[in-house]
Amino acid sequence: MADTEHDDKATIAEAAGQVDIRERAAWLGRHVIPHEPELRNWLRRRPVAGLDVDDIVQEVYTRLVALYAVDHIDNPKTYAFQVASSVMINHIRRLKVVAIDSVASFEHLDVADDGASPERVLADRDELRRLDETLAALPARVAEVFRLRRIEGLSQREVAQRLGLAESTVEKHMARGAILVAERFKTGGILKPPASKSMIRRFFR
Amino acid sequence: MARETARDIDETAASWAARADRGLSPAESADLEAWLRGDVRRAGAYARLTWALMSTERPDAAAQRPLTSRRSTRRAWLAGAGAVAASLAATAAYLGATRPVSYATRKGEQKVVSLDDGSVITLNTNTRLQVRYGKDRRQIQLLEGEALFDVAKDRDRPFVVSARNADVRAVGTSFTVSNVGSAPVAVLVREGIVDVMREDQPQQPAARVTANCRAVLARDTGAVAVAQVNEAELGSDLAWTDGRIIFRGETLADAAAQFGRYSDVGIVVVDPELGAERVAGVFNATDPVGFAKSVALSLDAKVEIRADLVRLTR
Repeated sequence: MADTEHDDKATIAEAAGQVDIRERAAWLGRHVIPHEPELRNWLRRRPVAGLDVDDIVQEVYTRLVALYAVDHIDNPKTYAFQVASSVMINHIRRLKVVAIDSVASFEHLDVADDGASPERVLADRDELRRLDETLAALPARVAEVFRLRRIEGLSQREVAQRLGLAESTVEKHMARGAILVAERFKTGGILKPPASKSMIRRFFR
Repeated sequence: MARETARDIDETAASWAARADRGLSPAESADLEAWLRGDVRRAGAYARLTWALMSTERPDAAAQRPLTSRRSTRRAWLAGAGAVAASLAATAAYLGATRPVSYATRKGEQKVVSLDDGSVITLNTNTRLQVRYGKDRRQIQLLEGEALFDVAKDRDRPFVVSARNADVRAVGTSFTVSNVGSAPVAVLVREGIVDVMREDQPQQPAARVTANCRAVLARDTGAVAVAQVNEAELGSDLAWTDGRIIFRGETLADAAAQFGRYSDVGIVVVDPELGAERVAGVFNATDPVGFAKSVALSLDAKVEIRADLVRLTR
């Protein structure tokens, strides 16, 4: 059984070909991740045994990035909620202990749909302000790495040289920063208060 | 073995995103792909954390890297291009669902549906179809309209499209099936091979259709006629997948009817002589008015535009 599953995956991997993950991540970031707090709330109200909200969000994103094309999706938010309910239904089916009509009633749950909600495309200025906030909320060392990499545009190697760190350490700081930034996606970027005002000043004087 | 937690996945995904930020060696890319394939949640986590890093890029830097169009995406796929390309296969975990799922488009609408096995269906205007995936067969019922099927290879589960009096069977390939109004069912193969089965003779294929060929099933007898199509013809027959219609010498009357599939704004050609004129060019499928105007210009006709109707007269 496990073997068959693995073979299936390998076959599909060939068929699915390659998709530029940066491009798809950008689509996700612009159109779906802004709705992540709402998606998480919605999922929390519909618990599935053995599945965390985090598991479902990851799986939903996988299905979205694996799509052949996304530019035909008129309302990415609604689409993401539909994918989420299908992910949940699949898991409930796999549990096999759930009575059929509980699955059926589940499928009829309305997906939140506020119509053609305008995408939260932010103006450049807002994005810059947001970037300031994001970086200001990072631990000092991580923030320093991000400042050199992002604001000054140094490569990771150059950042390492500048700060006298091993390249692998810079990489670890980048990974840590990614986790912390992604943490903000869960709540829509509502910040823990920045460590200190002086840190913000350190960034953008 | 305990299931990997979402948090573990995020940690590893973040490491990969950080590595991708400095550039991956070919060996690392291969490792990343292998890792992504290991669990259905990983590719999503990786994309999310990739965005976490991308979102800290200055907006002006991000603007220099505009999203590419769908067509170039397709090309990037085929070429395996892209700074960080990763094959995404994990959706395969959903195999085995058997409940039929319906998809439909309204007039002028198109839709791309990505199925759990990696196959992709592109629905053209005014199309209805049902998808039912079973253990030994992937069954599609094309009730009305036209669709392009990009089929993921699965030798054990043939992909079968049923349309009116025909079954079209594929293993892994790319083809369109059209079942529009009273026109005969037609199959156009872009890649690979499909078998066309007549409804009344399901045991053996009535025709085997290879790439760059079209099969048309006579409406009354069910007889299958197969003909080669050249590159240009193939291109214009698939133009709708990009929202375009291409004419290469069709009569204006035929062209007007084609537009009728995509829009409620009908094009009426009043003069039969005008209707028999030949048209050529690339047009936006959902813009009958633009088409009529351009035709009027080149055929020296008059165009009268009303709310739901465009009249062409000499």
